[in-house]
Amino acid sequence: MQKNINHKIQETFDSLEGMEKASVNPFFFTRLEARMNNEKNVWGRVSSFFARPVIAFACICFVIMVNTAVIFSAEKSDTGGIRQNQEIATVDEYSQVSSNLFEFVNTQP
Amino acid sequence: MNERELIDLLKKKDRTAFKTIVQTWQNMVYNTALGLLQNTEDAEDTAQDVFMQVYDSIATFKEESKLSTWIYRITVSKSLDLIRKKKRKKRFAFVQSLYGKNDELAIDPPDFFHPGVKMENKENSAVLFKAVKRLPPNQQTAFVLNKTEGLSYNEIGEIMNLSGSAVDALLQRAKKNLQTSLHEYYEQTLK
Repeated sequence: MQKNINHKIQETFDSLEGMEKASVNPFFFTRLEARMNNEKNVWGRVSSFFARPVIAFACICFVIMVNTAVIFSAEKSDTGGIRQNQEIATVDEYSQVSSNLFEFVNTQP
Repeated sequence: MNERELIDLLKKKDRTAFKTIVQTWQNMVYNTALGLLQNTEDAEDTAQDVFMQVYDSIATFKEESKLSTWIYRITVSKSLDLIRKKKRKKRFAFVQSLYGKNDELAIDPPDFFHPGVKMENKENSAVLFKAVKRLPPNQQTAFVLNKTEGLSYNEIGEIMNLSGSAVDALLQRAKKNLQTSLHEYYEQTLK
């Protein structure tokens, strides 16, 4: 068995004997030129930059952060508005009460 | 056109000089990338990347070595970068499979049959290339440059910035590791 394995290993090492070098596709230069021309194009470069997964993921995170910030700031300004309305309501209530009191005092015989 | 003239013209971004360089070394680049990457599409993409880098970076070529040596270095560097990138992708492949997308086959395709290997040796060479894939990058590079490109130890040393004796030591370690891998493989399969 061991002899068999050693023989198989040697056969495997010898399998590359006489191997020829691989040749590239005959249209390799044409494809290379086309790719280089595409990369030269500004939009091609920009789109390939944003198509990178890391960049796309970072842009999505940025958009989510901006949206979250906008939502939080909107909530804060809404709370301020409610307080303002409450103040106006309180002022109105007091002004009615004070006018009623004035009338009450002055209409007493 | 000799090499010096080609380099001078390429530095001026002469397209004819660039075409000559591509046509002279395209098979060398492709064959080296194919030996390291063991995938024809990846090897072609990497070969394109190599020549694009040659075109863009020719101004940085100091002419301390031959142009072919410089091109070999870029090829090896780009191929090893792609191997590292694929290994990182493989580490996250389990996340993709949770969502029903199994890209493992695309990331790690089955047996590689080098187009230059004789028909009767294809099966054995596929086993050997699988074992070569598991070697450390330096040993893998030295082995591929020696066996598929037929480079001498000194030529490999120029590309890898090593002495001839260092390359010899590297190849000895590669052979030992391959023997161990193949022994384990055949022990399993010949049982």
